[in-house]
Amino acid sequence: MQRRIAAGLLCTLAAAPLSAQQPLGDLAGRLAAMSAPVGFEAMMADSLARMMRGAMRDRAGNVIVRLGSGSPKRLIACPMDEPGWAVGGIRSDGYLTLRRLPGRTPPMFDQQVEGQRVTVWGARGAVPAVVAVRSTHLTRGRTTEDTPFTSDNAFVDVGARTEEEVRSLGIRVTSPVTAAKRPHRYGRSRLAAPVAGRRAACAALLRASSQGPRGTVLIAFVVEQGLGMRGLFTAVNALGPFDDVVMLEGDTGAEPVGMRRDTVTAGGARLVLDRWRLRTRFGGTPVETVDLGDAEELERRLAAWIGGGR
Amino acid sequence: MRAVAAAFMIGVSFPGTLRAQDARIGDAETVLEQLVESYGPSGMEGPVRERVRRLLPGWARAETDTAGNLWVRAGSGGEPVVFVAHLDEIGFRVTGIAADGSLELARLGGFFPSLFEAQPALVHTGRVMVPAVFRPRADTAGPARRTPSAIVADPGTSTRAETEALGIRVGHTVTMPKEYVRLSGTRATGRSFDDRVGSAALVLALRQLDRGRLDHEVIFLWSVREETGLEGAAVAARSLGLRTRRVHAVDTFVSADSPLELPAFGLAPIGAGAVVRAIDNSAVAPAALVDSLVAIAEARRIPLQLGATNGGNDGSAFAPWGVPDVAIAWPLRYSHSPAEVIDLMDLLALADLVRAIAEDW
Repeated sequence: MQRRIAAGLLCTLAAAPLSAQQPLGDLAGRLAAMSAPVGFEAMMADSLARMMRGAMRDRAGNVIVRLGSGSPKRLIACPMDEPGWAVGGIRSDGYLTLRRLPGRTPPMFDQQVEGQRVTVWGARGAVPAVVAVRSTHLTRGRTTEDTPFTSDNAFVDVGARTEEEVRSLGIRVTSPVTAAKRPHRYGRSRLAAPVAGRRAACAALLRASSQGPRGTVLIAFVVEQGLGMRGLFTAVNALGPFDDVVMLEGDTGAEPVGMRRDTVTAGGARLVLDRWRLRTRFGGTPVETVDLGDAEELERRLAAWIGGGR
Repeated sequence: MRAVAAAFMIGVSFPGTLRAQDARIGDAETVLEQLVESYGPSGMEGPVRERVRRLLPGWARAETDTAGNLWVRAGSGGEPVVFVAHLDEIGFRVTGIAADGSLELARLGGFFPSLFEAQPALVHTGRVMVPAVFRPRADTAGPARRTPSAIVADPGTSTRAETEALGIRVGHTVTMPKEYVRLSGTRATGRSFDDRVGSAALVLALRQLDRGRLDHEVIFLWSVREETGLEGAAVAARSLGLRTRRVHAVDTFVSADSPLELPAFGLAPIGAGAVVRAIDNSAVAPAALVDSLVAIAEARRIPLQLGATNGGNDGSAFAPWGVPDVAIAWPLRYSHSPAEVIDLMDLLALADLVRAIAEDW
């Protein structure tokens, strides 16, 4: 009997090796199955680095590949991070409590994990768990509040009976926690998963990176975009200046790929960049949805941009 | 019947060596995993029924009645003792297909709709499963409520015609994808443990049953449409009428074994054994029969707890014929959620208890 101890791996998937030349839908699905809670992107970064010849890691934890040489010198970045939680406490009865990781979280983010499976990323690997919810039957005839669930009321059940059993699984206070990832294809060409837009955009970038560049193009998979854009600014400050900077995102919009110029600041530094937004539906939810046809359009535009077009 | 009695334990030790125990857990897990990963929303239990049929021992002759219940008979003579576990699970029924292709839904059974909002979905057409999603609420501004105003499934289409082209019709059912997952120690999580654990206990008991010890007929019944009102059990009860000696619903004991629950009743911890579900919303087990059951469990050193909880059970459908209902169960955390949690040791105890009742009582 095969035990499903690991609900899924933070990055190193047990199936066929990842390849940047996989079909886009497969690659997007593989990336969507990865977890990279903000501040804990290292294992996803390892996986991406293995997929790209010449990839390097910088001091922030970004994965960067340099294509070509000379000018112009351009940067294109795709964020790896996602909202999540960390273990806030371990109770004597084996339950874990949570602290939301810093950065912005979408509305109803906590509620959408209530009564669902999660993964605790312990020192010994992935530990499957669930977030407790009141039993429907036991609320009958009793007064209940209809306020949204928050992580302050979360009790995470790994199946342990004691604090010692929890620790034996490699879990400690601060271990990251994410929703269990089960990318879901539906409709003609839709992919649903947490941060599916971001993951599909990164998949499109991976595939487009085989394009021969005009001048120098740095491709960066960056950390902590949701926490002051630490990864992006580190790449710019360490490797710039750049003639153009493009940041990929998933977001709602009418067009398959929306573009707009933006100015962002951090720690007194100012950066002008172009935001390329892959169209998503149900953004910020466990079923954030991207149409893979839109992702293919993004890949075409990225390949053209890397090759010299705009 | 609220807050009548806190659960307590009768007998505590699990017999057998650790190695034998591991082998038994492996067997139980093999059965349970297959049942949990079969889909059977109320009224569309066919895949689960067929899975049970395939898991039965070779000697068992299974029959399906007009309601869809599955019957296996063992022994002969006397009034039959009936064990009944239900095949169905909670879910939704498609009540309409909107112009934009989305599915209007009604609940099958009782549960918090918020647990399905913004999650993956599966539409069961009877021929295929069509993947979809449960739409998140569109409006997240204003005072937030836990409960969404409606649950809508989106199969990824834009028009009613596109949805119908996928084979989806009003009356089909919708659930969420599910997976059996082992947790730490002997614990596991999944959706629809209620009542796949009961169904697994009957299968495991049948595999070990010593038919030579039966001095009366014993009926093992897997019922349909429990979650929507004990409908399958009612058909079976009517067909047996006054003949039935005793009925044992084999179903969930909804446990208060969680920091979120009030500790007034339902305190059967998971991992502490099977449970006599002596009082619930549908039945009160006769005290003398509870005592007899406790004695049977003690004689075989089967860990058994006694408790009162909420919910109804299939055995109560036999009440119009004066049949005593002594429901037996295993403790469950987070009932009717996508993340129900059990302890596999309780499944073993429950299977042993079913066998002991059949052979000794």
